[in-house]
Amino acid sequence: MKTENQIPHDSAVGHVTGEAIYIDDIPVNDQLLIGKVVYSRYAHAKIKSFDLSEAKKVHGVHAVLCYKDIPGYNQMGPVIKDEPVLAENEVTFIGQAMFLIAAETEEKCREAEMLIKIDYEPLDAILTIEKATEKNNLLGPPREMKRGDADSVLKSSKHVIGGELRTGAQEHWYLETQACLSVPGEGKEINVFSSSQHPSETQALVAEVLGIKKHEVVVEVKRMGGGFGGKETQANHVACWSALLCYATKRPVKIRLVRDDDMIMTGKRHRYLTKYEAGFDDDGLINAVKLEFNSDGGAATDLSFAIMERTMLHADNSYYIPNMSVKALVWKTNLPSNTAFRGFGGPQGMAAIETIIDKIARYLKKDPAEIRNKNFYGLNDRNVTHYGQTVEHNRLHLIYDQIIKSSEYEKRCKEVDDFNIKNEFFKKGIALTPVKFGISFTTTFLNQAGALVNVYTDGTILVNHGGTEMGQGLNTKMQQIAAAEFGVSVDRVKVNATNTSKVPNTSATAASSGSDMNGMAVKNAIDTIKERISNELAQIWTQQQSNNPTIQQSILFKDNLILDSDHPERKISFSDAMHQMNLRQVSLSAAGFYKTPTVGWDKIKGQGKPFFYYSFGMAVSEAMIDVLTGQHTLLRTDLLQDVGDSINPGIDMGQVEGGFIQGVGWCTTEEIKWDSKGNLMTHSPDTYKIPTVQDIPKDFRVKLLEGAPNPVGTIRRSKAIGEPPFMLALSVWLAIKDAISAVGNHKIEPEFSLPATNETILLSIEKLKEKIKR
Amino acid sequence: MRSTVSFILDGKIIDLEFKNSEEFSSTSTVLNYLRSLHTHKGVKEGCAEGDCGACTVVLAEFVDNKISYRAVDSCLIFLPMIHGKQLITVENLKSPEGELHPVQQSMVDLYSSQCGFCTPGIIMAMFALYKNYSKPTREQIDDALTGNLCRCTGYRPIVEASTKSCVHNCTDHFTDDEPQIIELLKSISKESIHIQTDNQKYFRPASLGEAISLKHQHPEAIIINGATDIALHVTKNHELLKEIIDLSGVEELKAITKTDSSIKIGAGVSLNDILLPIEKDFPALHEMLKVFGSHQIRNLATLGGNLGSASPIGDTLPVLMAYDANVVLESLNGRRVIPFNDYIIGYRKTVRKPDELITSIIVQKLTNGSIVKSYKVSKRKYLDISTVSAGFKIDLNGINVKSIILAYGGMAERTKRALTVEQFLIGKRWERKTVEQAMTLIEKDFTPISDARGSAEFRIKAAQNLLMKFWLETKK
Repeated sequence: MKTENQIPHDSAVGHVTGEAIYIDDIPVNDQLLIGKVVYSRYAHAKIKSFDLSEAKKVHGVHAVLCYKDIPGYNQMGPVIKDEPVLAENEVTFIGQAMFLIAAETEEKCREAEMLIKIDYEPLDAILTIEKATEKNNLLGPPREMKRGDADSVLKSSKHVIGGELRTGAQEHWYLETQACLSVPGEGKEINVFSSSQHPSETQALVAEVLGIKKHEVVVEVKRMGGGFGGKETQANHVACWSALLCYATKRPVKIRLVRDDDMIMTGKRHRYLTKYEAGFDDDGLINAVKLEFNSDGGAATDLSFAIMERTMLHADNSYYIPNMSVKALVWKTNLPSNTAFRGFGGPQGMAAIETIIDKIARYLKKDPAEIRNKNFYGLNDRNVTHYGQTVEHNRLHLIYDQIIKSSEYEKRCKEVDDFNIKNEFFKKGIALTPVKFGISFTTTFLNQAGALVNVYTDGTILVNHGGTEMGQGLNTKMQQIAAAEFGVSVDRVKVNATNTSKVPNTSATAASSGSDMNGMAVKNAIDTIKERISNELAQIWTQQQSNNPTIQQSILFKDNLILDSDHPERKISFSDAMHQMNLRQVSLSAAGFYKTPTVGWDKIKGQGKPFFYYSFGMAVSEAMIDVLTGQHTLLRTDLLQDVGDSINPGIDMGQVEGGFIQGVGWCTTEEIKWDSKGNLMTHSPDTYKIPTVQDIPKDFRVKLLEGAPNPVGTIRRSKAIGEPPFMLALSVWLAIKDAISAVGNHKIEPEFSLPATNETILLSIEKLKEKIKR
Repeated sequence: MRSTVSFILDGKIIDLEFKNSEEFSSTSTVLNYLRSLHTHKGVKEGCAEGDCGACTVVLAEFVDNKISYRAVDSCLIFLPMIHGKQLITVENLKSPEGELHPVQQSMVDLYSSQCGFCTPGIIMAMFALYKNYSKPTREQIDDALTGNLCRCTGYRPIVEASTKSCVHNCTDHFTDDEPQIIELLKSISKESIHIQTDNQKYFRPASLGEAISLKHQHPEAIIINGATDIALHVTKNHELLKEIIDLSGVEELKAITKTDSSIKIGAGVSLNDILLPIEKDFPALHEMLKVFGSHQIRNLATLGGNLGSASPIGDTLPVLMAYDANVVLESLNGRRVIPFNDYIIGYRKTVRKPDELITSIIVQKLTNGSIVKSYKVSKRKYLDISTVSAGFKIDLNGINVKSIILAYGGMAERTKRALTVEQFLIGKRWERKTVEQAMTLIEKDFTPISDARGSAEFRIKAAQNLLMKFWLETKK
């Protein structure tokens, strides 16, 4: 019997046999039509006229739609309604949807597309943060968060450093591109099979766009072939488009973006330009930091402000900064609207403060790890963040002490120095970076989840919950939680596809919160059912021997049995009990609900407790660079992550390693480039380079922090794990910088940006060499 | 001559006819064919350009009296290319009793899948590894998996699953079925295939003689010799290739002949099959091929194909130029042997005449202490196209440079030598000071472009530094 925490991913057998079904694999009848999106080829243009008549004539084409054919509201922005489903009189980025085609084959779609005539009048396009700044083209009002008086402390500070940092965009590169299948039902009903992290929002937008009520729309998500934030809002788009074609043709319509179109049309991680200043004393203790974050929001709002908010809330990372001023500006450009991506603004905030620390260390000629340790939030004092939340249950010091020892940090720093003295053309670098990541949606009302648990009379259990499975193992954890709560083996529990008709009004599976919130909602539903069962069983057993009653509270669910712990002979198998309950008219189905307690904060003032708790982790990475080509090798990474009491260590390990490597991609080889017209130059894996198996650390030592249950009341005392490890990759980025710095014997601050591509590295080295010559 | 393509799938011979109105044309990919079957939806499309491996399948072929199993990207293969082979997909891996294959079981046990979309392709890459290596090294495992992108796991558990499962002396239920499969494979005629529809002619000749006459009759026909480049015209640009001569059925082109002084590599030998024969005598070419594409790509790609496309960023071209290789061209008018230096004349342009085929490449062994080195600078070390690549050859007379070839890729519209730099170096002392002076001359030879892979500034800098690297590795 497997109730232990080491069960495999619940879809693992499906994955390895190819039997797991994704949107493009769903069997559909021969009425299926293929949908295609015709998009703008201009970054900014007026649509003077268009002609769809020839395209409509193509044999096998069943619909060609423009904005005028939308029965409902032509908007699909998730928060701010600034994203038309189909462009009306103007296009604002290359890749913006203009028309939709449904045809019997992809070839017919392409044939029709060629026959669409569009007359554009190109307009001036804004393609950089600099140009947006020059034109004062903001997406919304700037925001500020302040503590103390950074300006005046900086003036009086003994040492001050400052500069600018650029961090790049990142493409999600989920293996399964955006896809949706819409199937018409009776009357206005529509069934939408989506690869979405947020089925409730997909449902809402499909209803609005079709001009129907939400109860006519059922959205189902079996699994995604990867999400990473890229399907939090932007899966809605492809759902709206396929639903429109389905409504127009009254036939099932599937849209699956081909890779290049997916990369061209969808948003990415926001690129940032960050300006900073920091003041500190001789020991490297920071007394003031001033930051200005500028993000490229793209052509529409999407989640840009929530993402920027998380940047502001993670600009301190793990450090107590007594005087802090954070300014944030989100710029509007003529590029696809940038969106959620693992870390959600956190990485950009942390890259800035980690750069500051790194610079301070080089300036003071001290070990950066020592500067970090000195500035960590304290256990009892220096423990309040710039937004007023106390850092409770701080594990930074514990993790630091462990990883400094286990990674042999000090010894290896010395070895790196020795290597660098002996080698002119290869240089090594090492860096330790921490992560403190706040867990909760910063938009407080989103911190809620629902579940519907059904028990059947054969003793099997079907769990529905509001979260979505994108590979992270959420369904496996829900299966384990349900099995543990009912005291049955995991094979009795199946987790259903997420379906808006089973669990309504849910939040996105995002912010690393999936297991925390849905796990509690599942438990809540199960508690209700168990209460009914134990109440009934107590009555039955008491009736059988009324002088020796069974107390309801003594009834236990374990080992596939239900028993009275005071009278061990009173027991019944779980499946027999369910049969009995049905005969005795006891409901075996219940809805569950959860809202995260104790969080809440004032967005306007920027003060309060936005996070339920913090997740902590640290990494030490060592890299080597080839001084002549700029190519780097990741020699070793030691990583220690706090996951509380892990529900499933195998799955959590996968999140840690996978998140970290995705972060390594952002920090090193993943570079997004647009040309001067706003065309994405890196629109396929031919030019956009995510890590391969050859790019992981040659020596990769990952550990979960042991014996550290979450002190706050989360499900089974676990901690969120989806996003925090991503940011530990900053250790790789700074190890590379350390290696570059070694070219100048650490006397000169190297120019550096993110990602550290071979080009960035080599040109930084060359500039360093020029400075040495002077 | 026949017009039917035959191969084994799910233990049975499938005969495909290509008629005008049918769903498939002769340039339909194996991936699209498989995905049209409700029984093979496990094969996934991740990129349709051979860069992600989600569509990986294994092709089994009867050669040298045994079955060889090779992982390939099904998105890059036209259906006629699998004639006479067994096509194995993820759906075929479970045993007839329904047990998971060892590579599948270890992936389940070790948490090696997350979203699962890349997993079928990874399983097939591992299956090929399993069939070819018992206890593979980490290097062999990494090489087998380089062509499979996974965005979730960070690869560590996949490497671990490969290590733990590939220990069974390569035997499994496919081993049991081999006698039967061999009979089926033998029953498929190897005669030439000509498929003609209203808008397309696809020829798959069965002999070199036939290939040469076909090229004579159809000088405009596109030659495919691996198709890893040409396939993209179909999968990405949806071009209709009107006339095609596919050399995958020409056995004469798949030979390697070694003499005391040289090696002759048939234009149709897959790059993976070249690796071992050249390892000892042609280390610079070997180094370059090791980082060429991925294992799946190298099972398809050929030197003939690389030379035929003559791309300015073709990985093998600078190093072949440095070796001063000879390209053998054949037509009905006879055979020409072209020194590599004279072979490429412009952007994807060569001296090959429309009626000629590249039949082999001859590389001479180095004599008298000459040294050849190859370099590739790319954003990602593996599975990437070079930003700058180079093949350098030097002959020293004591400390002085007697002769030197400095061939670069990615620096101009074609593979090109840095002639000014070469001129400067001849007769000079091969020492750091000279090399540093030579580096400043690179800009006289090249004005590279800025593109998605790198800026002109970076290209110049890297090209200069490669000279320093060469000096470091060859100095006395």
